[in-house]
Amino acid sequence: MILPVNNTNSKNSINFSADGNEKDKKALKYNHDTLLKNNLATRTDIAIDKLTNAFTVYPAKGLKGSRNANFYEFLTMGNVPYLIGSLMLMNVFIGPVDSYSNFDKMKANPLGKKLALGVIFYGIAKSLSKSLISKPVHLMTGIDIERPYAKVNYELPDDVNDTDITSIEHHKVFESVEFPRYDLYYGDVGKGEERNFRYDKIAKKLGMGTGLNDSDQEVKARIREIVIKASLAKNISSYLWAATGVALAFQKPWENFFNVMTFKFWKGKEFGKTLGSFGKNFVKSVKALYKGEGKGLTKHAGKILIGASVLSSVIGVANTMHSSHKPSKVDAADVIKKDEKYVVN
Amino acid sequence: MTTNLIHNYIASGTSLKSKSGNQKSQGNSKKPMPHFDIEHELNNRTFIKPLEGKGRLINGNIFNMPALMVKDTIYDAKAFKHAVKGEANDHELGKLNDVGLKIGGLAIAGYLFTRKQTPMTKGMEFIGLASFLASMAIWPKIAIQLPAYLIHGINVQKQYEDSFGRKKPFYQDPQFIPWDLYSDKEIQKIGNRLGVPKDIPNRREAIQEKMKKIAIQNNTLWMLTAGFATPVMSALICNRTEPYLAKWLNDRKNKKADKILNNLEKYSEKYKTHTVSNKLEEVISLYGNKPIDNKLVEKITDTFALRLDPVTSEALKKDLKELMLSDKAYTIDDNTAKDISKNLKKLLKGQNINDSVINAIVPDEDTMIKLFKDNNFFNPAKETKEFQTIKNKIAKALQLNLRKYNKTVPEESQYDWTLIQQAIANNNKANHPVDKELFKVPGIKFDTTIQAKLRNIARITDDFVSKANALDEYAVLKVGSAPETVIANYWNNISKDILKIFGINYKDIKNVRFDRNIVGALVRNKIEDIVSNDELYKKVMQELVSKIAQINSEIKPSDLSVPLLKKEENLNDAQKAAARSAYDTLVDKEFNSYANSMKEKGFTHLSHAIAGFGPDDNKGTAKNIQKTFVSERLLGVKSSFYRLINTLDFFRRIAKQANNMESINMYPTEIKEEIIELCKIITLEGHSSDNATKFYMLRNQHPSTDKSPLEVKNGKVVNKYYGKAAGTADIAGDKYFYQRAMQLMFEEKLNPETAEILEKSIIKDEVLNYRDLVLNKIGGEYYMHKPRHRIRPKSDAGSTLKFLLTGIAPDEFFFKSGQQFFNSNKWFRIFSTFGAALLGVTVLAQFFFGKTKQGSAK
Repeated sequence: MILPVNNTNSKNSINFSADGNEKDKKALKYNHDTLLKNNLATRTDIAIDKLTNAFTVYPAKGLKGSRNANFYEFLTMGNVPYLIGSLMLMNVFIGPVDSYSNFDKMKANPLGKKLALGVIFYGIAKSLSKSLISKPVHLMTGIDIERPYAKVNYELPDDVNDTDITSIEHHKVFESVEFPRYDLYYGDVGKGEERNFRYDKIAKKLGMGTGLNDSDQEVKARIREIVIKASLAKNISSYLWAATGVALAFQKPWENFFNVMTFKFWKGKEFGKTLGSFGKNFVKSVKALYKGEGKGLTKHAGKILIGASVLSSVIGVANTMHSSHKPSKVDAADVIKKDEKYVVN
Repeated sequence: MTTNLIHNYIASGTSLKSKSGNQKSQGNSKKPMPHFDIEHELNNRTFIKPLEGKGRLINGNIFNMPALMVKDTIYDAKAFKHAVKGEANDHELGKLNDVGLKIGGLAIAGYLFTRKQTPMTKGMEFIGLASFLASMAIWPKIAIQLPAYLIHGINVQKQYEDSFGRKKPFYQDPQFIPWDLYSDKEIQKIGNRLGVPKDIPNRREAIQEKMKKIAIQNNTLWMLTAGFATPVMSALICNRTEPYLAKWLNDRKNKKADKILNNLEKYSEKYKTHTVSNKLEEVISLYGNKPIDNKLVEKITDTFALRLDPVTSEALKKDLKELMLSDKAYTIDDNTAKDISKNLKKLLKGQNINDSVINAIVPDEDTMIKLFKDNNFFNPAKETKEFQTIKNKIAKALQLNLRKYNKTVPEESQYDWTLIQQAIANNNKANHPVDKELFKVPGIKFDTTIQAKLRNIARITDDFVSKANALDEYAVLKVGSAPETVIANYWNNISKDILKIFGINYKDIKNVRFDRNIVGALVRNKIEDIVSNDELYKKVMQELVSKIAQINSEIKPSDLSVPLLKKEENLNDAQKAAARSAYDTLVDKEFNSYANSMKEKGFTHLSHAIAGFGPDDNKGTAKNIQKTFVSERLLGVKSSFYRLINTLDFFRRIAKQANNMESINMYPTEIKEEIIELCKIITLEGHSSDNATKFYMLRNQHPSTDKSPLEVKNGKVVNKYYGKAAGTADIAGDKYFYQRAMQLMFEEKLNPETAEILEKSIIKDEVLNYRDLVLNKIGGEYYMHKPRHRIRPKSDAGSTLKFLLTGIAPDEFFFKSGQQFFNSNKWFRIFSTFGAALLGVTVLAQFFFGKTKQGSAK
C-alpha cells in the first residue's frame, strides 16, 4: 500500500537513524524540514554552508561514488567550476604578464585587470539583479520566491559504523514549480499560529480578500503561475545584468583605479584610498558606459545594453504581476469544502 | 493529515461500500461511465497501475546532431512561451536558464564587438564566446565521457527522454535513475565489460550499482575539473583559431580591394553622395542674389574643400576670388554714407579735437546721406574711378563746415584745414575712414549666372570626390598605416616566420628578449652560423626570398608599385606608361580629367594644384600625394626586407670570399678587418642617422701594413689586429673608407648562391634596384662635416626617401618580433601544458573509478 509520506513533522515520526536516542537528536541543527527566515544572516549562513560542502564533503562523497550522492549535491558542486573557472579566466589573461617586456606588460595589464574585474562584476551583477525581480514580486504579492528551508535527509549508512546518516540540504520553498513545498508554508498550530496565516497574507496582497476559508487552495495555483513567471524573468534578466557588469568593467576610468588599488587591507590609509578610488571610478565608468564613444552603434551600445537589462527586469516583473490580480482560476466546483461530503464515483 | 480518498475507502470497509451503492442507484442516469466499478478496480489494483512508460534513451551522434539541435531549439521556444504564460515546468525553466546564459554571452560579445576597431578583434569576440560555450560542452565529452567509455564501457553522459519528452542526463540524480530504459541484454553486456561475475544472484542490480558508482564519480570529477579546463580550453581554441580567421579576413580584404581597382566606376557609386552640390545649394539658398564678399567666397571654398587638402583649397580660393570678386565696382548705399560719417568723427576724436568742434565740422549721418543723394552717389555697382569725386565732395563739405566754424570762434581756437586733411590722408586703404567704406561691398551679386557655373563645377567635383574616395579606400585597404591592412598582415606574418627561418627558437629569445643589443648579438651569431654552412645557407636564403616575395603576390606590382624600384631609365614613354601600375594609371586618369575640366572652367590654380602643369610637374600636387602615399608605404616595407636579404648575402660573401672582395682588396689586413666589422654592424644595426653621418668608426690611426689574408672561421673573421690597438679614433678625412664600405655592402656582386636563388624569384629586379638606389640616394648624400664622403654625385633625395630606403634595422626587427613570439609562446606553453596535464590527471583518475568492495555490490 502506498502511504503518503507525512511523518517527519509529527511526534510519531519514523526515524531512520541507526541510533535514535534523544541525545543525538539535540546535536542536529534540524531534525525535520524547517522553513527558514529570508534574511542576510540566514542567506550568508546558507551560502557559506553550501560553498564549504561544495569544496569538501560533496566532492569527497562523489569521488568515492557514495550511494547517497544525489542531485542536490551535484548541483551545489556547480559552484566549484563557476569559482575556479572565474579565477582561471583571470589567470589566462594576466597570469603570464610578468614575463612580458615592460611595454607589453603595460598594455596587457589593464586589459587583464579589466577582464578580472569583468569576471567579478559578472557574478555580482548576476546575483544582485535577481533581487530586482524577487523583491518587487515579494512586495506586491507577498510571495517570497527566495524563501529558504532546510531539508533533512536520512541517508543509508555507508557501513555498520556509519552513524552520521543525516545530511542537511538548503533548498528554496518554491525552487520546484512542480513540487513546491506548500506544506512548509502552513502555520504551526501548536505554536499558536494560524494554519493558513501565510496564505491569508498572500491572498490579501493578491486582492482576493481576507478571511477566506481556504486561502491556501485559492492561492496555490496563483503562486505557481507567479513563481514560473518570476523564474523566467530572473533567468533572462540576470544574465543581461551580468553582461552589463562585464561591459562596465571594460570602461576606461578603471585604469585609474588599477593604478592605486591595493588589497592590503591592513594598510588602512592605502586601502581607504583604494575604496575611495573604486567608488569614484565606478561612477565614472557607469557614465562612460552610458555615454559611449565614437558614433552610431558603437556610441550607443552601452545605452542599449543598460536599457535591455532594465527593460528585462521591468518586463519580467510586469509579466509576473500581470494576471496575478485576476480572479482565481480554480473553479468553485473544484474546491473541496470542509463541511460537505464527497464521494468518488 | 492529508486526505487520502483511497485510504479512507479501504479503511472504512463496507460502510462506504453500501453508501456508494446507494449513491450508485440514485445517480445512475447522470453517471458518465456506467460500467465503471470502483470496487472491482480497487480489488484488482488496476487503479494504481503506473502508466505505460514512453521514455527512451537518446543515442546522439554527429549525424543526428543537427536534428537534435533543431528539436532542442523548438523545445526552448515552447518552454519560453509556457513560462511567459506561467505554465512551464521545472525542466523547461532549467532549459531557459541555459538560454539566458547564451543571451548574456551574446550581449557581452556584442558589446565588446562594438568596442573593437578591426574586423579581426571584432570577430574574435564571437569566437571567444563560441569557444567558451563549446569548451563547456566538449570538455566533459573528451575528458570524462570518452575515457570512461573506453575504460569501463559505460556512457556516463548518456541522456534520456522521459515520458513527457523532457531530455535529461541519465545519471543526473543518482537517487532516481530510470534503469528500466536499459534492456536486460544491454545491462548484461555492460556487466561483462565491467567484469561483474556472471554467476552472482541479482547480477543486474550489481551491474547497475557499479554503473551508478562510476557515473557519480565521473560527474564529480567533471565538476572539479571543468572550472580549470573550460577557460584554458577556450583560450587555446581562440589562440589556434586566430591565424585562420586572420587569413580568411585578409583574403577577403584583399579581394575587396582588387574589386575596387578593377571597377572603380561602379565602386565609386557608394561615395556619390553629392555632398558638394548639396552644400552649395544651402549656400545659394542663403546668399543667392546678395553681393559677393570675401566671407561668401570663404563659404564657397569650404563647400568645395570637403576632400581637398589645405594647399589645394587655397588654390581653389584664389580661383573663386577671381571668378566671383571684382575690384572695379562696389555698392554705395545709405550704410556707406552713415559709416563714413561715423568713421570721420571717430578719427577726429583721436586727434584730440573737441566733440562740439567735430560735430560742427563732420556732417552727421543724415546730412551725409543727403550729400550722397544730392550728388547721385548711390549705386549698387559704382565704378571705382568715380570714387575720387565722392572723396572730393566729402572733403569740400568738411572744409566748408570748418570755415563756418572758424568764423564763430576767436583766432586761437580756430583749426587749420591742412591738419585735418592730413589726419584723414595719413591712413592706408584698410583704415582710411572713407576708402574703407567705399571699397567695402563688391558690386557683383551672387546671381544665377555665377550660381549655374558653380553648380556645374560642384557636379564635376562630386564625381571626382567619389572616385578619389574609392581610390583612398583601396589604398588604405592595401597599404594603410592601420591594423589589419594587407601590408600590416603581411608584416605580422613574416615576423613570425622569419624567426623560424633563421632558426631562432623560444629558448634563444627567452634570455635575450629585453635588450636589443643582446638580440642583435644573437642574430649576428645565427647569421654567421647560417652563412658558414652551404646547405643551410641555400635553404635559409631560399625560404627567406620566397617568404619576402609573397608581398608581390599579396600586392601585385601590376596593381600597386614603387616606381623607384623599377628601372625606367632606358624605357621610352610608351614603355614607361605600360610599366605603370593600374593604381597609378587610374589616379592619373581621374586626377588629370578633373584638373582639365576645372581648367576649362577657368580654375587654373586649382587645376595646377591637382595635377600640375604637365606630366613632369608633380611636386606637391594632389595627384602625386595620392600616388606617393602608396608607393612610400610600400617602399618602407620592401626596403626593410630587401635589406635583410642583402645583409644575409653580405655575411655570406664575407664567410666565403672575404679575401676576394674587389672593393677592399687594396687594403692591408687591419683595415680590412675594420671595414668588415663596420659593415657587419651597419647592415645589422645601422639607422638612417648612421648613413647620414657617414659611419663613425673607431679605427687605428696607424694601421699595420701587413697584407696577409684574412682568416675566416665559421662565418666570423678571426681578427688579427682589430680591437687590439690602443687609442683608436674616427678618421674623419678618409673618404675612401666610407666609399669602400658602401661598395662592399651594396655594389659588390652578390654571392653566387644568392644570385642563383634570386634569379628564379619575382623580386630579383627589385632587390638589385634596391641596392642601386641605396648607392645613389644614400651614397650620394651630402654631409657638411665629411663633405667628400660620397660614392655617387650629390643626390637630391629628401630625408623621407633615405629613411624609407634604410628600412628597419634587422636587429630591431628581430627584437620586436622576438618579443611577440615570446609572449604568445610563453602563454601557449603555460596553458597548453596545464591543459594537457589536467587532461592526463582527469583520464588517469578514471582508472581508479568503479572499484567496489568485495561483496558490497551484492
